[in-house]
Amino acid sequence: MKDTLAPVLRLSAHPDSRCWYVAWSPKGSLLASCGGDRAVRIWGKEGDNWECKCVLSDGHQRTVRKVAWSPCGNYLASASFDATTCIWKKKNDDFECLTVLEGHENEVKCVAWAPSGNLLATCSRDKSVWIWEVDEEDEYECVSVVNSHTQDVKHVVWHPTQELLASASYDNKVCIYKEEDDDWECRATLEGHTSTVWSLSFDPEGQRLASCSDDRTVKIWKECTPGDGDGSTDGAWKCVCTLSGFHSRTVYDVAWDRLTGALATACGDDGVRIFKEDTTADPEQPVFYLSAHMPKAHSQDVNCVAWHPQEAGLLATCSDNGEIAIWNYHSDA
Amino acid sequence: MASHFSGVLQLTDLDDFITPSQECVKPVKVDKKQGKSVAKIQIEDDGSYFQVNQDGQRQKLEKAKITLNDCLACSGCITSAESVLITQQSHEELYRVLRLNKVLLSSGEQKVVVVSVSPQSRASLAARYSLSSSETARRLTAFFKNLGVHYVFDTGFSRTFSLLESQREFLKRFARKEEDKKALPMLASACPGWICYAEKTHGDFILPYISTTRSPQQIMGSLVKSFFTKQQGLDPQKIYHVTVMPCYDKKLEASRPDFYINEFETREVDCVITSGEVLRMLEEEGVSLSDIEPAPLDTMLSNVCGEELLCHAGSGSGGYLHHVYTHAAKQLFGVEVEELTYKTLKNKDFQEVTLEKDGIILLRFAATYGFRNIQNLVQKLKRGKSPYHFVEVMACPSGCLNGGGQLKPVADQSNKELLQQVEELYKAEHLSAPEQDTRVAELYQTWLESVGEETARQLLHTQYHAVEKSTNGLTIKW
Amino acid sequence: MEILSSVVNKVFQLSRLSKNVQRTRRMEEKALEVYDVIRTIRDPEKPNTLEELDVVTEKCVEVQDLGDDEYLIIIRFSPTVPHCSLATLIGLCLQVKLQRCLPFKHKLEIYITEGTHSTEEDVNKQINDKERVAAAMENPNLREIVEQCVTEPDD
Repeated sequence: MKDTLAPVLRLSAHPDSRCWYVAWSPKGSLLASCGGDRAVRIWGKEGDNWECKCVLSDGHQRTVRKVAWSPCGNYLASASFDATTCIWKKKNDDFECLTVLEGHENEVKCVAWAPSGNLLATCSRDKSVWIWEVDEEDEYECVSVVNSHTQDVKHVVWHPTQELLASASYDNKVCIYKEEDDDWECRATLEGHTSTVWSLSFDPEGQRLASCSDDRTVKIWKECTPGDGDGSTDGAWKCVCTLSGFHSRTVYDVAWDRLTGALATACGDDGVRIFKEDTTADPEQPVFYLSAHMPKAHSQDVNCVAWHPQEAGLLATCSDNGEIAIWNYHSDA
Repeated sequence: MASHFSGVLQLTDLDDFITPSQECVKPVKVDKKQGKSVAKIQIEDDGSYFQVNQDGQRQKLEKAKITLNDCLACSGCITSAESVLITQQSHEELYRVLRLNKVLLSSGEQKVVVVSVSPQSRASLAARYSLSSSETARRLTAFFKNLGVHYVFDTGFSRTFSLLESQREFLKRFARKEEDKKALPMLASACPGWICYAEKTHGDFILPYISTTRSPQQIMGSLVKSFFTKQQGLDPQKIYHVTVMPCYDKKLEASRPDFYINEFETREVDCVITSGEVLRMLEEEGVSLSDIEPAPLDTMLSNVCGEELLCHAGSGSGGYLHHVYTHAAKQLFGVEVEELTYKTLKNKDFQEVTLEKDGIILLRFAATYGFRNIQNLVQKLKRGKSPYHFVEVMACPSGCLNGGGQLKPVADQSNKELLQQVEELYKAEHLSAPEQDTRVAELYQTWLESVGEETARQLLHTQYHAVEKSTNGLTIKW
Repeated sequence: MEILSSVVNKVFQLSRLSKNVQRTRRMEEKALEVYDVIRTIRDPEKPNTLEELDVVTEKCVEVQDLGDDEYLIIIRFSPTVPHCSLATLIGLCLQVKLQRCLPFKHKLEIYITEGTHSTEEDVNKQINDKERVAAAMENPNLREIVEQCVTEPDD
């Protein structure tokens, strides 16, 4: 039998606007979405339906570009074009704005929580990546501002287990950061894409990083280990695979499923694609094949793909037409 | 092209590196003349523009020029300023003046060239040549004089004024803290990177907190172009005043209109060169500081005791916290502070010193260096959560000894090792207590008393100007 | 048998040819439709329209069929001077107006005509980055200018 991607449900989440991003809560009981209507919406399951539980509309003055749940699931961070990041605290079924992180010069493009929940990263068109520390009293302080990119920084993502941060930029590069001597610094720069890198995702073990780009490719990067014998230095990353020829326009998002290891992409050609890895291939030269393709997943650009953290194969996507769709991916392989 | 400015300034820059001619957004003022009828504009092959009137008359049009001051007053890019600076303030410009002086030797049109060296630059060069800081100063004196410089001074001398003024300003602010919500914390003003950032990004909110006391460089400007000129019977524009600084941002500071003497059409500091540029000069001359025969120091405007230069207690960034704290403790609470205990907070560039009596905190001072700590400070102030009375703010991580204009580490030397070495050399100089400096006290009585209170204030203090954000859609970068 | 096959073949070829002709004609019509939307956009600095300034011409619009009634529109415009810093603004106006006014589904690519601008690639990248465009349109000062440029005089 063939691998399939079947629609489960469709929600008009941000009508007359763009839906930029969706994020599952750590347990998967809630889905947060954000968009051009300046609002964050929280969706929860009621019977077979997903209903809007909450609208957070008073936090931002402009588009909300991304949302991120804290690992404990009690906090939500939202990054906005209004140059701020809001931290929301969950109170029963409601959310209250706890604090507003200011400092970026202009649009904040992404926010991400470290696995420990003690660190938060943000990035902006101002070319900088900021790392914030959270203390017990919910106070946020900036612990580092890193300027390794020469352009707009589009995305930040933390390593699933280590305190290692990756960022993607309009300058076509990916940077990897680590704390060194009480400050954060860029340890590796991944060059290879020929246009804007829009998003990143670590594989479940954190050994590899997938990047997607305006150059219509997805690249898989692997950390070089000193034992590789290829003379590369510790902490360097190399591109071990490029998925090209599959996407006909910009690839806006990429997500590696923690449960199945499948790789999903969101594309400017309205399609959603699922790639699977050929497990028989050499780990140094991995091979991915297109396992499922939904050509018109949405009527406009697909901006985001997000795997459900606990239900294998459940995938949420969202689009420029303001919709969220939920899909079920099934693979026999 | 890599920028030399401090990280803080690079952060406020939203643009790529551009040259002013290409993308400068500063609107140029054009004096409109009355009565001109329709004319055509012709562009020649060499790029010059001619206006051709109806009667066929041709008139060369002036090109719009963007000066450094335009750049400073603009909320657009900052990096354009860099290319403007290169033409106005560089060691090449110093060479040009020295060459011109030689040509003018017989005419009497010569300029008196004064070089004022900062203690941090001295220490940086000392580390490279394995010399003591004072020995470096003596050899630098010889080097500059061989090139035709007339006097070599030390900005440690003007820093004594700066420390004294900061201390007095702090007491005044402390006294009015109840009625003036922005009297405290007093934020140190010696770092031009920090000032530029504050003016461009946080404007009217933050500026009232910043100490109005001039930085050592700019008090040296006053000393050289006001006191020294009078003493020598010279007009200020007859002196070419160069400072040697650990920092590129100091070039921006020297170019501020506030430090321009309109009456004589001259800057108080004509040219700023960095420690690194001095090294370049040494290399270009093909000499090593180690081989230069030392010369006696010009002691008139130097912080010296005999032939040894002196240093101020506290941080390598001028010791503002140390001086203001010790004095405030004594004057306000009668506590003699022997030693300051610095408590490291979030990171090594964020330290705190407190004065406690009977479990009550009487004074809380902090040193915050680098952009990340400046951010937290500004945010705390905005939320009304800053517990501080005084903050020594510096744009560079590790402060001025680690300034962007300092010498870079040599091969197989880490930045950390070098910094440690420079710090040791800096601190190896004997300490001088500003309040016990009799020569400075004398100048307060003679020079500053004689000019009157208002002029004295202007010579030792300055003001800041919020930069308005551009609202012109045509020039907004997106 | 042979004759028949050749006739069938001819008919087939002809119908394919006419399909191609039809298709080309349809694309040309679409292109004109697109052009009609953009020609009246005003220059951000001058009182003229982009058409009057030759920033856009009929030939600068190319349309390709993406199937399912969706079209790819490629526009190549020529800024008036090579250093024109307003090129990004013109690109923004084109993006915004087409987004609002085109009645059919489309994907849009906007470029500067090769050799007409000194920072061609930078401008092309910026005006085709939908996130940058969206953010720019939320800046009230930029928005005001764009609105002035894209509003029809008789609106």
